[in-house]
Amino acid sequence: MSESTRGIPRREFMKAAVAIGGSAALSACLDRGGMPDVPKGPSDLSTLPERQHAWNRFLATDDHGNNVAARHKILLFLNYRGDGTPTDAERETVERSLRSLERAYKRGHDGLLFSIGYSPSYFERFGATDVLPKPKALASFEDPKLDEQDAVVQLESDHPQLVLAAEEALLGNRDELNGVDVSGVTDVFEKADRRTGFVGDGLPADHQDVNGIPDSNPVPEDAPLYMGFKSGFKKNQASEDRITIQDGPFAGGTTQHISNIELHLDQWYEQDSRDQRVGKMFCPVHAEEGKVEGVGNNLGDSSEMTDECIDHVEDHARERGMVGHSQKAAGARKDDSPVILRRDFDSTDGGKAGLHFVAFQRTIEDFESTRTAMNGDDLAGNSSVGQRLNNGILQYMTVTRRGNFLVPPRSLRSLPTPNPT
Amino acid sequence: MNRRSVLRTAGVLGVSSLAGCSGLFETRTMARAPPLVKNRPDAVYIPTHKEGMEMAGMAKQGRYRLALFYSYPHRFWLMGGGTAKQEKKVTIKDADDLHLMASVWDSKTKTVLPTGNVQAELSNGDWSDRRSLWPMLSQNMGFHFGDNIGLNGEGKYTAKIRVSGLDVRRTGALAGQFGDGATLTTEFEFDTDTVEQISYEKLDGRKGQKDAIQPMEMNMPMSHVPQKSDLPGRLVGEESSGDAKFPVTAVENSDFAEDTYLLVSPRTPYRRYPIPNMSLSATLKRDGEAVFDDALNATLDPDVGLHYGANVPSVRTGDELTVRVDSPPIVSRHEGYETAFLKMPKMQFSV
Repeated sequence: MSESTRGIPRREFMKAAVAIGGSAALSACLDRGGMPDVPKGPSDLSTLPERQHAWNRFLATDDHGNNVAARHKILLFLNYRGDGTPTDAERETVERSLRSLERAYKRGHDGLLFSIGYSPSYFERFGATDVLPKPKALASFEDPKLDEQDAVVQLESDHPQLVLAAEEALLGNRDELNGVDVSGVTDVFEKADRRTGFVGDGLPADHQDVNGIPDSNPVPEDAPLYMGFKSGFKKNQASEDRITIQDGPFAGGTTQHISNIELHLDQWYEQDSRDQRVGKMFCPVHAEEGKVEGVGNNLGDSSEMTDECIDHVEDHARERGMVGHSQKAAGARKDDSPVILRRDFDSTDGGKAGLHFVAFQRTIEDFESTRTAMNGDDLAGNSSVGQRLNNGILQYMTVTRRGNFLVPPRSLRSLPTPNPT
Repeated sequence: MNRRSVLRTAGVLGVSSLAGCSGLFETRTMARAPPLVKNRPDAVYIPTHKEGMEMAGMAKQGRYRLALFYSYPHRFWLMGGGTAKQEKKVTIKDADDLHLMASVWDSKTKTVLPTGNVQAELSNGDWSDRRSLWPMLSQNMGFHFGDNIGLNGEGKYTAKIRVSGLDVRRTGALAGQFGDGATLTTEFEFDTDTVEQISYEKLDGRKGQKDAIQPMEMNMPMSHVPQKSDLPGRLVGEESSGDAKFPVTAVENSDFAEDTYLLVSPRTPYRRYPIPNMSLSATLKRDGEAVFDDALNATLDPDVGLHYGANVPSVRTGDELTVRVDSPPIVSRHEGYETAFLKMPKMQFSV
C-alpha cells in the first residue's frame, strides 16, 4: 500500500486510511508518518468526567471562543453477540477495554475522545421499550434506513493514526497502544458497520473528488464542511448541561441521534449564486446585508440569528420566497437556548459526498423538534417556498439513515440494564 | 468511479479506452443555445428556439403517474429570493449531457401535480447522481420538474424518481390523496445520436415578440388551468400583473369554503399554465371597511387546477377587492418566461 500511494499528499492519504480502516490501513499510516507522540491517559481514571459527552473542555477553541471539533472520526456500530441479555462478565470485558483506551491516550482532540451509546433495540433485549424512541423518518420526503444495531462507539482525534489504532484495539487486533496494554470487545460485540469522516478547515477541499460535488473543485480551501460555511458557532450550540439527562436511571447521560446525509452540491455550487447560498444557509437578511464573508469566520461566536431572522421566518417565506436553514433551526430553541449539540462531520463513505449528522440532546424529542423546525412544513404549505425549494438547504440533501442511541454516564457505559441502580 | 476518475483513467490509457464515454469528448455540432434576444420585454415572449424532447420512460404507483423526458441542456433561471436581484441565470455547463424533465399526474383526475418535490436518482453501473429537480415552467411543456444533468457516458440508466407527499391543500377528488409519496422507477438508454436527433428549431422571425410558442403535442395530461369562463362561481374580474393573468371568481355554496370562496387563478398568458410557488393575499373592502384581509391559500383541485383562495363572508356588488403578490413565483423558468412574473404590482377589482 505504501508503495502505490507514495505520490498522494499526506493529508489525503491519512484520511483515506481512516476511510479504509483495518490493520493494513493502520500499518500503512504508521509506515508513512509513525505514531504521534501523545501523552498517556491518567493513571487514576476517576479524574475523568462522569459525562461521556463532556468533550468541550478537551477541545481547542478558536479566536472567537468556538469549540473546534477533532478532525478525524469513526463511528463503529456493534451488535451484541449473545442471544439474551449481557452477563456481568461481558460487562467487565467491555469496561476493561474502554478503560484501557482511556489509559492509552489522554482525553483530548490531540489525544482521543470517545463515547459509547446503546439503541432502543439493545434495551428491548431486556423487555424495555420506553428507554428511548426508535428512529423513524422525520420528513414527508425522506425514506431512511433505520439503524438498529445494539451499540455505537464514536472515536475522534486530530490524529488519523490514533482513531484507527483505537478502533483496532476495540476490535481486538492490538494488545498494546502507546505502551499501555489494551484489550478489545469482540468477545461480546461483533462489528456491524463503520462510518468515517472528517471536519475542519481545509479537509473538505482536500477531499472533494467524490460523487455529489461538481468537478470544478468548488469547495473553498478554508471551509470546515463541504457546503462551504462554518457551523457549530458557540451560541448556536446547546451547552453540555443543556443536553445532559437530569433525572432517572441515566441521569448524567445524554442521547445521540446519528443520521447519514448524502449531499448533492452540483446545484449548490454551479447553479445557485453566492447570495442564494448565504440566504439558504443562514437567513435572507444575511445575504441582503452581506453579513457573511468567506466561510463565515467573521461572524464570531454566533450565526447572528437576530430577531430580524428568527421572528420573521413566515414573513420571509411569504414575502421573500426564501428561508434560511439556521433561521428555521433557531425556531427550535427552548428558553432562548439551542437544544441540540452538533458534532457532525463530512464523509466520503461509499465514494459519495456525505455528512454524518451526529447530534447530542437531552431527549430524542429535542432532536425531532429541531428537525421539524428545519423541515419548515408549516411554511411550505402556505407560501412561495417549496418543500425543499428555497427552504433552507433541504434541496441539496437526502437523509439515508437514522439511528437513536442513549449515551449513559461513564459509570454505566458498559452494557447497561434499562434500570441500573 | 466518478466522472473525473473516468477522465483521469482515460488520460492514462489513451483514446482506445474511450468507448462508453464518447458523450464526454465529442464536440457538439449543434449550437447549444443561440444568444438571448436583445431587449427582451418584461413579459412572456417567443424564445430564440424551440426544442423537441425524447421520452425516457413512464412509471406508475397507486394513483401517481410519472413521465420522464429529456432534451438538450437548457439555460434556465432560478428564483433565489432574499436579495434585490432575485433571479439567477443557470448556464449550460460542459458537463451537462441533457435536460431531464419529469411530469407527475393523478391517474384518476388527470391532474398534473404542480407542487411538492421530485427527487431523481440516476444510476449506471457504479455511477449515480441524485438531486431534487427544480419546479419549472416552460412554454412547450408547461409545469414540470427538471434540471440539466451530466451523465456517465452512453448506456442504460435507471431512474428512481421519488415524489414527495403533497403539503398543499387538496380538494374534490384529490382531497385526502397524495399525502404519502411514492418512488417510481424507469429505465432509459442514453446515446448522443438520439439526443442530437431531437428537433431543434430556431425562431429567428418571431423571437422576442410578446407571445408563447405552441405546447408540445403529448399523449399525457398537461398542466393547463380552465378558461376563465369555465371557472366555478361568478366572475369578479380579471386583471394582469407582471404579464400573468389573474381571473377572480366568487364561489358560493361549494365545498371549497364555509361561506363564499374567493378564487384567484393566476395563469401564464397565451397557454394557461398554472403559476405555483407564489404568495398571494387579498383585502376585500365593503363601505370602506375590510371584511377580509389575509393570505390566499394555494389549493389543488381537479377541476380548477392549482389556484389560490380563501373563505370570505360574501362578495357583493360595490365591494372593492385588492389582490397582492407578496412574493413573485419562485418557480424556475425556461427561456421566454424569465422576464415575466417578476415585478408584480397589486391588482384592484371593483365588484
